[in-house]
Amino acid sequence: MLASHHRVGKGAGVLFATLSIGLAACGSPTTGGGSPSSSPLLIGVIAPFTGADAALGPAYFAACLPAARAINNAGGVMGHMVSCQEFDTRGEPADAVPAAQQMVASHSNLMAVVGCTSDEAASVAPILNQAHIPMFCMTGQSEFNKTTLTYFHRLVPPDEFDAFAMVGSALDHFNYKKVALVFGNDIGSQAFVGPAMTALQHLGATVTINQAIALGQPSYRTEVTAMLATHPDVIFTEALGPTDATYMAEVKQLNNGVMLPFMGTSATIDPVWFKAVTGAVGVQTVVDKFTAVDLGVSFSGPGYDEFKTNLDAVASQFPAAPTYSQRGATLHLYDGIMQAALAMDETKSTDPTVYNPVIRDVGNGVAGSTTVNTYAAGVAAIKNGQKVRWVGAGGPTNYNQYNNSQQGYILVRYDASGNEITIGTLTQAQTAAIIAAGGG
Amino acid sequence: MSLIVAAFGFGLVSMSIIAISAVGFTMQFGITNMINLAYGQVMIASAYAAYAVNNAGVSIWLALPVAAVFGALFSFLLNRLVYAPFQRKGTNLIGMVIISLAVSLVIANVMLPIVGYYSVSYHQNPGTTYHLGSIAVTGEQLAIIGVAVVVMLAIHALLRLTRLGKAMRATAANPTLARNCGIPTARVIDLAWLITGALCGIAGAVAGMNSDSFSVASGSEFLIPIIAASILGGAGSPYGAMIGAVIIGEMTEISAAIISPEYKQVVAFAVLVLVMVLRPQGLLAKRGALAAAG
Repeated sequence: MLASHHRVGKGAGVLFATLSIGLAACGSPTTGGGSPSSSPLLIGVIAPFTGADAALGPAYFAACLPAARAINNAGGVMGHMVSCQEFDTRGEPADAVPAAQQMVASHSNLMAVVGCTSDEAASVAPILNQAHIPMFCMTGQSEFNKTTLTYFHRLVPPDEFDAFAMVGSALDHFNYKKVALVFGNDIGSQAFVGPAMTALQHLGATVTINQAIALGQPSYRTEVTAMLATHPDVIFTEALGPTDATYMAEVKQLNNGVMLPFMGTSATIDPVWFKAVTGAVGVQTVVDKFTAVDLGVSFSGPGYDEFKTNLDAVASQFPAAPTYSQRGATLHLYDGIMQAALAMDETKSTDPTVYNPVIRDVGNGVAGSTTVNTYAAGVAAIKNGQKVRWVGAGGPTNYNQYNNSQQGYILVRYDASGNEITIGTLTQAQTAAIIAAGGG
Repeated sequence: MSLIVAAFGFGLVSMSIIAISAVGFTMQFGITNMINLAYGQVMIASAYAAYAVNNAGVSIWLALPVAAVFGALFSFLLNRLVYAPFQRKGTNLIGMVIISLAVSLVIANVMLPIVGYYSVSYHQNPGTTYHLGSIAVTGEQLAIIGVAVVVMLAIHALLRLTRLGKAMRATAANPTLARNCGIPTARVIDLAWLITGALCGIAGAVAGMNSDSFSVASGSEFLIPIIAASILGGAGSPYGAMIGAVIIGEMTEISAAIISPEYKQVVAFAVLVLVMVLRPQGLLAKRGALAAAG
């Protein structure tokens, strides 16, 4: 044996078999423009920047930079300059907890935290709440529908609503009746499966197969063969990283070069996902066969224009930033940061226990409040003694008592350049019927 | 039943890729006493080297040697600049494992700003699909299997029929004695890193071809079955790694057909644990390539 002299035998095997990797990486703060201040404020972006869900973190970082730039160009929050810093969770709760603890312990100037996906929100949100740090999370987990965490805010619907929107689009828009569910086996992706199955079954459709696929595998040919044997009309999917790309390429290959229609969640409306999947199956296949549901955002209006201007301007700091101009999560987190900043301005306080309760007022507006679409306009209105309502890149916010906000869904597809094209909307009646059927 | 047969066919491709990489991984350990957890990341770096060439309009098959050369040089430099200095200072095996883990993370994080976090795909043509009953294999996959067969035969010839192979076996068995017998062990170890690095590079490129899409993060995923196959076969045994690759490659695919795709890796590791309990030294630990040197 090659290793005969090393006397490792059992030891090497045990060593091999028990090693695991865990590292919470930290970035350095990045300001969004403006001039430095003696007491800067920090926005923490806590999300996966490495690992299978590494594509999520940059989308959220792309929300922070233009927000910081807009705030700093307007003189900062009461003169405090704002910067952004990444805190990598690797998409694993085990790595997210030390990352969150390190972030809180090392930075006493956190004004808000954005990110906290379904991968880590359940472990990170209580830590942030205990530290009294307002957070804007991209988790879709239903456990936050009626959360008692008062510093928690969510500007997107829970994942089950994404699932309902997919079901509604499949049944009402395309008349698909047989659906294959192919979702990653991570927490975030699996949150869609139960509600989708329930809604599909109650509305008379058939779930031909439900596959929870391990992310990042070199091949899924066996899984694809099993799925194709069930002859679905459409595949519902969310499997991030290279997983959807590998899976769909093998669908096309094993189905004699013919791609089945496939429909994604709002997380698949993402430049990283687009590049991965088009690289594997071809741009035209994605344009022709792929649809997705997305958050009801118009991508227009003064709030969006302000966001877009700042997003394009931060390309010098983060070259990929402009590619997130139609990423719903990016828009909404930008809005969350703006709401926190304006709440600080309204309360004239950097103490989160003071300004956190006002975030909801800034989002929803109160009687007589002035609608503002830019941070500078908001600051000017507050200086004039007015209350403000923020209507930003993602449109109006409608927080409920649990700081959850949602605006409905649109059905979209990609064009050949990766831009989102709206091809339908779900009416309130359709949405209500599906939610009722799904038990939502 | 037809799904299981189809899975067996897909397993042939998986095991071919695992075999190329696991043989390189286990030889690295056997000859240089280094459990190199950065192996998966070097695979991905090599896959990206091939991607750069392929993206410039060159066939991925012509880019394969580029991946091999890149992997060889990268591994050689990694040993010379990082691992060997620590080993000379007497860092123990556990310490070296931690260092290789750190190297893996450094490589991944250095790669991110260079290649980005986007997943990429080779420009490739899978070729005609051939059917044998329920088994469906593309021309490209047959070629990958062919590459694995050629590599395995080459490694066998190297170890059994060449002076270098004998020197490697002697160095693995007892480096001090080998050195006293006039074998230039330092050069042998350099060559071992070059050869196993080339295997790592080839494995990275064919894994990228097989998976249709890969990213920087794929390195750790690729490493798991490689380690499993290496342990299963007996750490340090190239032939053991080949058998381990067959078992792990087939088990992961067939279990996906029988149970749930969610548990394909779990099943593979359950087999690994079982073997570790019943035969901790691995399947071929006493009958490895170099057990009877000379």
